[in-house]
Amino acid sequence: MKYWLGILLACCALSAAAKDFLVVVSRPNLLHVIDLAARTTVHSFVIPGDGLPSAVTLPKDGKVAYVLTNRNESISGIDLDSGKEVFRADMSLPGERVKSMMAMVVSDDGKLLYVHQLPTRMTKNEYEVMPTRIAVYNTADGVGAKPVRVFPAPRRIGLLAVGASSDRLIALGWDMYVIDGASGRIDKTFPLRNWKRDGMGEPDILDFWPQYEQARMLSTPYYAPRTNVDPTSPEALQLGMLTFDLDSETMQVVEVANADTAIFSSVVNPVNKNEAFAVMNQISRIDLAAKKVVQQVKADRTHYAINISSDGKELYLGGATDIVSVYDAATLQKTAEITIPGHRDQSTSSLRVVRR
Amino acid sequence: MKRLIPLNEKARHLAQPSAAPAAGEATLMSNVVGCTTTFDPGWELDAFGGLASLCQPMEADLYGCTDPCWWPAQLADSMNTAPEWTDGKNSALRDWRELQTLFPED
Repeated sequence: MKYWLGILLACCALSAAAKDFLVVVSRPNLLHVIDLAARTTVHSFVIPGDGLPSAVTLPKDGKVAYVLTNRNESISGIDLDSGKEVFRADMSLPGERVKSMMAMVVSDDGKLLYVHQLPTRMTKNEYEVMPTRIAVYNTADGVGAKPVRVFPAPRRIGLLAVGASSDRLIALGWDMYVIDGASGRIDKTFPLRNWKRDGMGEPDILDFWPQYEQARMLSTPYYAPRTNVDPTSPEALQLGMLTFDLDSETMQVVEVANADTAIFSSVVNPVNKNEAFAVMNQISRIDLAAKKVVQQVKADRTHYAINISSDGKELYLGGATDIVSVYDAATLQKTAEITIPGHRDQSTSSLRVVRR
Repeated sequence: MKRLIPLNEKARHLAQPSAAPAAGEATLMSNVVGCTTTFDPGWELDAFGGLASLCQPMEADLYGCTDPCWWPAQLADSMNTAPEWTDGKNSALRDWRELQTLFPED
């Protein structure tokens, strides 16, 4: 009895101690861990080798951050307590340059790492574009890891996520795919660029910001023309929101406003999945059920990326410059600003929230 | 042209264009889905013909385009052709004056 009570108390203590941290990367090749409650950077680790870092993915326990770096040719796994590189995969080979355009995800249990790769054979007279593929790594292989399997994958994948189990792989490209991570088979395709919707043309999506970890909803803004209205009317181009439930593997697309401003990325509220927030020069609150933008405020600078606290109360805006802005999710008022140490730009890198 | 005789393999290739080009000889580079495939305006006008949706300040977008090779015709790219262009200049807002013009021989 005493034994179980001890375990229970230990669990309670751990749970009470857990809090949200922001994990970001910056030039030239740095990984920062920000204590969000204290509004301070608690670690700035140097990632070994050449920069520039871009995508970041973490397992659920938030112990190791996997960073795409070396001009998108390598993945470095950094222990968030010690700062040591505990995993390294250099994807390029002699004569074959391999890059990834940000599409990378580690499974929730931290055992498998999936990377969408763009290989190019570098010959004397020409570059030969090779078929795109997804490489799977065992993170336990540590520094010098090689893929344990590789399978063909569609081109233009900018986002990867893991679904209900570590072998369910979600990929956003011209269409949305659900891929069996064990066999590489595409199990489901949700048409986007290939959708056939009455009165709607092809959607246009730019998204390589993985910001789905709190609500487990992958979301992205899109732009699509209405084909059944006067092309000069304000309704002719629509802003829409795509949401994909990573557990139920269901997708929803809704047009929420006439397109009159650019929006880069979005995040779904984990405590109200009918609410999404989107960012670029403005911060928008979107009611997905009502299918409309219900609030929009001007940001004081451009941010590419937006993420949300685990309780849905705070928004974190990052990317582009050296500032992370904190906003109150209820009012969309700015409450704090955190400067990346050394004023180093985040550029197009990821902005991840982890509870640890 | 009849008086020129190809002497090596490359010259013979040039003299005899392939009857049936191999499939996939011209392949589109993979790219993320995007609002700017390459030549859309961006630094001058936003997608709506105005200025409101340009990045603010303008320098905020500089490395966001340089790093992922976004507008290779308009900007140096840190990924392949000009990896050292921004070395030591980690804040576009503060350091843009130090970025040098690149010439083809660079």
